[in-house]
Parts: sequence; C-alpha cells; structure tokens
Amino acid sequence: MNRFLPDVLIHTTEMMKNKHVAVIGGGIAGMEAASVLARQGLKVTLVEKQKATGGKLNDWHHLFPDFSSPGVVVENLDKKTVRAGVNVVCHTEISHIERNNGRFELSDQRDVKIFADAVIVASGFHVFDATLKEEYGYGLFSNVITSVDFERRMKKHGKLLTLQGTEPRRVAIIHCVGSRDAKVGNIYCSKVCCITGIKQAIEINKMLPECEVFCFYMDLRLYGSKFDSLYLEAQKRHKIQFIRGRLSEAAERPDKSLQLKAEDTLQGRPLRMNVDLVILLVGMEPALSNSSLMRNNQMKPDENGFFRSVNMHEARNVGTQEGIFMAGTAICPMAVNETLENARSAALEVMNFLRTDKNHGGF
Amino acid sequence: METKTKTRWSEHNKEIADDHFFYLRSCIRQNFNPAAEKIFLSILQKNLGKDIYDDPRHTTCTGIGYHADIVPFETLQTVIARQFSLMAEKGYKNCAVSCITSFGCYNEVLATWKQFPDEMAKAGENLRKATGREFEMPENLSHSCDIIYKFRKEIARQARYRLVHRETGEPLKIVDHIGCHYAKIFPEKSVGGSEYSRVLTGMIEAWGGESVDYPERRHCCGFGFRHYLIKNNRSYSISNSRKKFVSMEPYRPDAILTNCPGCNMFMDRWQYTLAQIEGKTYGGGTNGIPVLSHEELAGLVLGYDPWKDLGLQMHQVDVEPLLQKIGIVYDPAQKFAGVNGKYINEPLFTGCFNPHN
Amino acid sequence: MHSKLNSLLKSDVRLEEGLTACMNCGICTAICPAAEYFEYDPRSIAVTVQSGNEEEIATLLESDTIWYCGQCMSCKTRCPRNNCPGLIISVLRKVSQETGAFVQSRMGRQQYLIVKNIGMNILNYGYCVHPTILMPENHPEQGPVWKWVYENMGEVYASVGANLNGDGPGAMRKISGADLGELHRIFKESGGLKFYETIEHFSKIKALELGFVNENGEADMEKYTQHLLQEI
Repeated sequence: MNRFLPDVLIHTTEMMKNKHVAVIGGGIAGMEAASVLARQGLKVTLVEKQKATGGKLNDWHHLFPDFSSPGVVVENLDKKTVRAGVNVVCHTEISHIERNNGRFELSDQRDVKIFADAVIVASGFHVFDATLKEEYGYGLFSNVITSVDFERRMKKHGKLLTLQGTEPRRVAIIHCVGSRDAKVGNIYCSKVCCITGIKQAIEINKMLPECEVFCFYMDLRLYGSKFDSLYLEAQKRHKIQFIRGRLSEAAERPDKSLQLKAEDTLQGRPLRMNVDLVILLVGMEPALSNSSLMRNNQMKPDENGFFRSVNMHEARNVGTQEGIFMAGTAICPMAVNETLENARSAALEVMNFLRTDKNHGGF
Repeated sequence: METKTKTRWSEHNKEIADDHFFYLRSCIRQNFNPAAEKIFLSILQKNLGKDIYDDPRHTTCTGIGYHADIVPFETLQTVIARQFSLMAEKGYKNCAVSCITSFGCYNEVLATWKQFPDEMAKAGENLRKATGREFEMPENLSHSCDIIYKFRKEIARQARYRLVHRETGEPLKIVDHIGCHYAKIFPEKSVGGSEYSRVLTGMIEAWGGESVDYPERRHCCGFGFRHYLIKNNRSYSISNSRKKFVSMEPYRPDAILTNCPGCNMFMDRWQYTLAQIEGKTYGGGTNGIPVLSHEELAGLVLGYDPWKDLGLQMHQVDVEPLLQKIGIVYDPAQKFAGVNGKYINEPLFTGCFNPHN
Repeated sequence: MHSKLNSLLKSDVRLEEGLTACMNCGICTAICPAAEYFEYDPRSIAVTVQSGNEEEIATLLESDTIWYCGQCMSCKTRCPRNNCPGLIISVLRKVSQETGAFVQSRMGRQQYLIVKNIGMNILNYGYCVHPTILMPENHPEQGPVWKWVYENMGEVYASVGANLNGDGPGAMRKISGADLGELHRIFKESGGLKFYETIEHFSKIKALELGFVNENGEADMEKYTQHLLQEI
C-alpha cells in the first residue's frame, strides 16, 4: 500500500488491475497508448498485423522539422512497451469489434479472439495511392516517385538517382497529391505534406548541391512552431524555389525526363518545365480496415472516412461506441509528435472510462 | 459507410449497347471523310451482323454553333430532343454517335436534364410547340469508337491484315489522338477516362499494332471552334496541332489514329499547311504521317478497298506508305477515279510538298 | 445596373455546373491551350465571376478575353473542385451577346461572321458545314486534295458512296424541306432565331457607329463584314 495515495485512488488502482484494454495497431500511437496504460497497472494487449511494431515509421528516413531519426522513436517506444509489460501480439489483423454483455470481443479472420473492457483503435492511415492521379504518371514513368518512396530510398541506399542511374539535376516536389482534391474524393488537407516537402527539398540540396529543386504548392500550410523557420532556411540557404501553382500534368519525354505543366499563379502565366525527377507528396487517407472495424458496433466515420469523435474539441479520442477510443491518425492526419500526445490523451480517456464504468464496479 | 470508392479511370468501363443502334451522323465527317461513316455502317451490318438504323430525317445537332456560342443552350437541347424523338419513333433505344462534338453535347444535355429537370421540361415543351413531337431518353449513348472498341476482338478475328510490318514482322507504331469532348467533359462516359483512354489503344493492340505514348498526347488539336471558323484566328488551331506533331516526332509513328472527325481532318490538313509554312514535316518524309479514324483503320484491317470503300483519297497526306507496310493490296490507278472508274482529274499534288516545285 | 449582370449570369444553369468555388490553384490555366498563345488566364476569369464584381464582369464582357477560349474543356478534367471554366466562358459569351457588349471587342465582333456562316448553314442545309460553301480560296489550309474534291464534288462524293444532296439516307444527303422546317421552328421556339437577330441587331449598331452606312442611311453589313474579315 502506498501511504501517499488517498484511499479512493488506492481502491481505484486495485480495481483497475483487473481491467483489460485491447489496442488495435502497433504503430507509434498504439505503442504509446498501450505503454501508458500498462504503466498505470492495466492489463494491455497490443495487436499488430505486421511481424513487428513501429508501423509506417519503420520505412521513414528522417523526421521533420529536426531531421531526427524515426528509428530512435520506435526503439524507445519498443522499450517502453516491454518495460510496462504490454502483451504484444503480432501477425494478427483485427477485423471485427463486437460488444457482448458489456465486454468487447475482438476477432481476426482466423478466429483469434481477444476480450477487453475497453478498446483503443490506433489503426493509423492509408497512404494515398498515387496511381489514381493518372495525369501525374506514377506507376507509368519510373522517374515519378512519391514522398514515401523517397524516404525508403534514402533509408535503403542513402542516395537519390534517376531511373537511368544518374544524379538528378532538377527535381520537382508536388504538394497536395491526393489531398484537397474532389477528383479523388479527398477534400481535406493532409497537413504534414507541406513540411515533408520542405524537409525533403533540403535533404536533396544537401546531397546534391547543384540540383535545382522546385516545390509546386497551392498554400504552404506550415502550422508547426518550427516549420516556418525551416521554410526560410530552405529558401535562404538551400535555394529551393517555391512556385505557387498546382501541377496539371506530368508526361514522360523521350529521354525519360518529365515535362510538367502548371501555372505560376503569382505571375498569372502558364509554366512549362522539364525535370529529371518528380516527387509526389502523397496524403493520408483513412485506413482500409476502417469499414470492417466499424461494422459490428456503433462506431461511425466522419465526413472524410476517419473515425468520428463524439466531440472534436473536448473528446477527440472518444468514439461513437461507448468503450471504444481512438488514438493517432485513425482520427485525422497528424504528425509524429501530435500522434504521441494524442495517444497519451486516449490512454487518459480510457482510464476515466474504466473508473466510472458502472457495469464493472466503478464509481 | 464503406471505404470511399476510388476510380482508376484507365480501368473504367462504360456500358456500350450490344445491338440495335440509331445512327447520328457528323457534319464534319460527312464533309471530309464521308466513306468513314459508310464503312462504319457496313462493319456493323455486314461484319458484325448488327442492326443500325440510318434515319435521313435527323439533322446537325448544332454542336459547332453551340460551342462557337451562336446557338443557345436551349436550342441545342431542343434539337437534341428532336433526334431522340426520331429514335424513339423508329423503336430504337441506343444511340451511336459519329461526332465527338455531338457526343459531348448529347452527354452535356443528358447530364443537365438529370440535374435540372426544369431544363428537360422546357426542351420538351419547345419541341412539342415547334414540331408536335414527344421524345424519350436513350437507354444507351455510345460513340462509334466505343462500338468498334467493344467488337475489336471480333474484328481482329475477321481481319485480313494485321498492324504489323510485313517485312520486319514488327508491330506498327501508332499514336492516338482522342478528341477532347470524348472524355474530358464526362470521363465516366468513356472507355478508360481522359488521361489514358483505352478506346483507341485497345483497337491498336487488338489488331497487332503498338500504341506509343507521347508527351502532348492529351493536348487539343486546336480546332477551337471560333478559332478555326474565323480565318484570322486560325493560327491558334495550327499552333496547337504543331505542338502535337513536335511532341510525337521523336517516336517516329507509322500512323496517327483519331476518333474525332474534326481532329482527323485537322491532323491531316495541318501537316500539309505546316510543311508549306516551315518547309518541313514531322515524320513520314515529304508525305507526312498518315492520319486515320477508327472506322477507317477497322475498314483497312478488314480488307475493305482503300479508295472506293474507305475514301482515303480524300486525305491530303497519302496513306499508301502505311498500306505498303501492312501489305495491303490496292490499285494505285483507281485512287482518284470517279464513279465506275471514270477519270475525273487528279489533285495538283498529295502529301505535304509539291514534287514539281 | 448593380447586380444585373450577376443575375443574368446566374440565370443560366451552366454557371452552377461550371463554378462551385475556385481555390485559385491554376490547374486550368496550366493545361489551357488558349493560355499558351494569348494573354488569357481561365483561373482569373473564374475568380472574377466568383467575386461578383459588376464592374469587373462588365469589363470582361466587353473584352477580347472571353473569346480566347477554344472550348476544348481540358480544364474540366483537372479541376480539383470540379469546376469547368470553359462552361463559365459559355455563359459569359451568352450574356455578352445578349447585352450587346460583344461588339466592343474585336474578337467579340466576329460572332457576326459566325452567325452568317455556321448559323446560316444550320438553317439552310441542316448541317453546320457543307462542302458547297467550303471554297478553296477561303480555305488555303485545306490543300490541293480538298480543291480536287471541291472541283469534282459530284463525282468524288458519289465514288466513295456518299449521297451528296440526294434523297434518302447517307452521308451529306439533302435534309428534306419537312425536316428543315422542323429545325426552323425549333430555332424559333427555343430562342435560336432571336439570338441570331440579337447578334445582328447589335452588329448593325456597331456598323453604323463605325461609319459603314449605305445610301439609304442604313448599316452596310457587306462593308462591315469585309471590315471584320480584315480586322486584326
């Protein structure tokens, strides 16, 4: 017994030890939420469909705005989950959540069943499939890559080459691919792409100082406290050129370079440019598993297909099914630091819920 | 709610009726390539055993006037309502449209009527007052290229020739040019959308050829309606076509395939005009690159006579280099013959340059 | 005058189709064939119409600008808000002609030529284009093959199986009097004829203003036509 705790909390802590929380998704949101809950003494199972935790960050090379390593973030989270005693189950993809007699029953395709008193959905996001923007030629022209491909290449090879194996002399970075675009059904902003583009532009300039880098943007949405200084640095030190105009099409030329058509809207003139490489800043979409996770319960999507919160200001982590909570990009696009904060707040909401859950002897 | 449905347009299929078509002709195609329409009817009736009705009573849809902004939208709607009335009167439900401008206009009117029922009511009332007619909406509206696309494999089975170089055995390289109003306005009404439409490449590949991409593939031929119609404005038209020729030149295409009657004529004539202005062609030596429409190409592979059946002598750029590559048997002496082989004079020259200069 | 132009524009359903809301991304101008050759920016036209500024719209209606669009509708395909600047142009051009603003610009004045050419073809032949009026001297770009077709019209069309000016079905058949009659009545009933007349009416006023007057003190439209053909 801890004599510094009031009686009420001592009672609560004892009671909570019998509660079981299932967290769906072993990305950074799930890992953070699971480890926070486990440290509070709850039994926590973290279910991941891949062979290991870490999610999409496992493919990432550097984080904005400080060029730090995502590997370190994942490593620290892994340590935290292990130390807190989280039960990590990999190779398991939860496809159904049902509520039976006040408890949740989670199942996968192979009839694995997990029972829980509360659930956190941290199933993350789906990367926009750039082949849907056919006019950009992704999947057709090898010198058109996505921001995700860029990170993977940098992580694996540490350098950026064209299909022909040469160092690109001109690179265009295209903002808003799959975001703010009714044509592909996504009218929302993915929020993190602008700063990702600036980060990648600077990385290219550091690697290939002779290479000209152009960012085609519609609005630079640099919401983070350190993002505008990175923009300034990109212009001032790295000579990145920012063109206000949305790319209309990319076409492959006989030498495999790409012909771009955009408007320089600040000049009010059409702009034609040939570049060696195009990087598409692909947006975040609702995860493909969302609809099956919502099927057997009262969870609902928001207008963009992400999980709907009961209140977007005061209860962002609280889902429309009592007892199911969300963490991270299952709610909306967000950056790494926001995701981790969001996951901690989800854990707090779960604690509050279990404490006050009348059916289970709470008060 | 299900996960959002996303369309990869190049995989998009439209519904194309299988049989029983009411034919709607094209002003431009009838003027410049009248045999293309005749051969389309022959292919459907004779090669494919389909029923297609050619009603002499239908008129222009007024589409060129509409896009040149002298024909009001309400008039366009009423003229189109009359075409549909003729169709219904003859017991047909499927339209086969020859012209791409018309195809765009029909789809625009149908989309408007769906979204704004008052517009349809007004068109119906205008039609009733003017002609006493009632009309019905078609169940299916396809362009003639949609129909050839649908039956491309059957055409391949019946084909006498393949789009393969007879000496090298290599597939012939063909670039396509899709008329803007085929898919740019209503991609859902097309085969494969507007970016990488399959409607022409599907034919090229089914008949043995190789479809070749080029950067300005989607660029307009430059007709521009009021731009071509006014002599002083024609520099717009020719500049846009030139842009396309410059872009396709490095790929050395054996032919240009079109689905739009206007594009078919312009891509042919502007090669000649550019040669006269610039003293050069963008492929095909002094002749230029042969330009064919989908009906003309289908007719060729099926073994129809290039002159009396397909009327290819009405092209400025000679098609003979293409015929020779494929190995098509033809009689050069009959090219400019009149009815029953009668001699009726010949053009001063064909191709892009006057050999006598 | 205030809000008159806006209400005229908005009375056309095509404006609703053509302009939801523009976010100024420039994807339309990027792909616009007219923007490559002229001082023309479909994005800024969308923005002007969106602003509802009567003076700016009035200026637009009297300018060459709205006549540069080639109606290819490439803009429709790409707009991330599903707008169609080409359709906005159609509505602007209609209002420009209805209000007589079109005669204030060189490109606008050309509408008179189009009525006299395509407009009359439709009513006279039932076709937008007819081979008999495609005279080689007016169409040098059509080349020697077209000249040959034109000079041997009857034989050439017959030799390829067309039915030029003939009865019954077929390519370039004669559209019967009964069918032309229906077409005329449709034009009358649906406002097509009135639209032609409006264009002629304002063109005559402009002809008088420019001093093209015949001996009876009326507008000399022959001279006006020649003027338009030469006007650069």
